[in-house]
Amino acid sequence: MRPTSANDQSGAEMRDRNLAKVAAVVGVGHTDWTADHGRVRAGEKPHDSYGYAAIAFTRALEDAGLHRDQVDGLIVGPTTAYERVGELLGIDARWGGQADAMLAVIQACMAIKAGLAEVVALVYGNDQRSASARYGGADPVGGGAFLSYVYHAPWGFTSQGALYAMMFRRYMAVTGITEADLGQVAVAQRLAASRNPNAIMQKRITLDEYLSSAYVCEPLHLFDYCLINDGGVALIIAESSRARRIRLDPVYIHGVGRSDLNHGATSLEPRLFDFYRPAQAQSAEQVFNMAGVGPADMDVLQVYDSFSCHIPLALEGYGYCKIGDAGRFMREDGISLDKGLPINTSGGHLSESYMQGWNHQIESVRQLRRECGERQVANCRYVHYSSDVAGKAVSIIYGR
Amino acid sequence: MANSKPVMSMYDAPMWESIGRHRLELQTCSRCARFRYPPAPICANCLSLDYRWHPIAGRGTILSWVIFHRQYFDDHVPPYNVVAVQIEEGPIILSNLVGPVPEGSWIGAEVEFCYGEHAGRMQHQVRLREHSSIAAESA
Ligand SMILES: [Zn+2]
Repeated sequence: MRPTSANDQSGAEMRDRNLAKVAAVVGVGHTDWTADHGRVRAGEKPHDSYGYAAIAFTRALEDAGLHRDQVDGLIVGPTTAYERVGELLGIDARWGGQADAMLAVIQACMAIKAGLAEVVALVYGNDQRSASARYGGADPVGGGAFLSYVYHAPWGFTSQGALYAMMFRRYMAVTGITEADLGQVAVAQRLAASRNPNAIMQKRITLDEYLSSAYVCEPLHLFDYCLINDGGVALIIAESSRARRIRLDPVYIHGVGRSDLNHGATSLEPRLFDFYRPAQAQSAEQVFNMAGVGPADMDVLQVYDSFSCHIPLALEGYGYCKIGDAGRFMREDGISLDKGLPINTSGGHLSESYMQGWNHQIESVRQLRRECGERQVANCRYVHYSSDVAGKAVSIIYGR
Repeated sequence: MANSKPVMSMYDAPMWESIGRHRLELQTCSRCARFRYPPAPICANCLSLDYRWHPIAGRGTILSWVIFHRQYFDDHVPPYNVVAVQIEEGPIILSNLVGPVPEGSWIGAEVEFCYGEHAGRMQHQVRLREHSSIAAESA
């Protein structure tokens, strides 16, 4: 090894830490959400989580034009076991693991950067609807990972929706944002879904219909909640020079960011005192610096939307508008395909399907490949994805 | 569906016993005096393991509230409220507001802890303090 001075070392480390354009998405795939939704409603069980994952994987592989044996890394979603997916797909990876959508993308970039893998398959399947997964009540999904999901149950406080309802109620009082302002999200995303043949809910809704819909946990309405559904999603991510040999239009990961708020999480301090802003601001600084662009350069914003109120929080936290100005931004500037900054162009979790952030990743890729038909955003160059699930702010910038 | 049940770690059990005695006690840090909620093995402020149980004064302010319209538990029939209360000692505790509720926004309303039986166990609740400026005449 060549000896290096302290300065050389730190300079090399600085460069080494940058994940910008280290890797690119070369293949995406998903299962037939609408058809399977119909079958599940009719009482059938089309597949289990592993079946959905397998179908999505074969489609992503075909989209990339790769053979299974060319895949040397495998990351599976939280709902399937790593070894079993590898066994089913016949992949003996040299690097692998289990992660949620956002961290799977980041971990793939890290493994590629480190030389631990070159072509990584990210595979997610979830039979949550046909398996009657419960996100509230006794033994809710996620209760083992987040104490706040179960700790306040004796007082009837349960479901992730209630956690965001509690947060949004205070946010309304602090910022003056109204239920009608929040309704812009459900209306805009349903408009997007009406132009997406993959979306489960394609019928447009009006603001009046939103406001007259039932509350689930007041102040949040039914239309503020995600659409729990079966399905699978897969992505193939390859080292950038390899990606360029695989296809002409790879979609690069230009930057990633992450910042977590754990302090006081169970008693809801980061929600009620900070609205997750410090985590989002740090994650934004990291992702935009790494990518060398800013909010004004983004053509599309994708936001993890288990509930609609993630959107105003992200708009403020990531610097798309001033603190406290998200209500006006959504109402006047617009967040739809027809006006303003297009957000969740597939319909997102609210109207396309709740694929736990995985569908946002493939929609980002398809917008950048200009494959989105009626819902295509013109001249799309950069897409920013963000999530703030339970105060863990993760951000990814995709670009051409 | 099923009944709701408390999380009962070895640190929670003494707290629930104090609720059974109608006087909520929380751990205070022996080094920095910080109150812990939920009960915990270590102080997140100074990382001291030492603590003693200390009754809270029983007063706080509502930071936020929600109304459940969907039923998730057999023992909680909607509509019912849950309030997030910051107690004078610092922590935020979620509970149910019983008795009269404020007109308009509940945020900032001053409350005091009280106790009531729920599904066979004693729980804390909160009610508006008499002098609370935004207390309504009646529910
Ligand atoms: Zn301490």
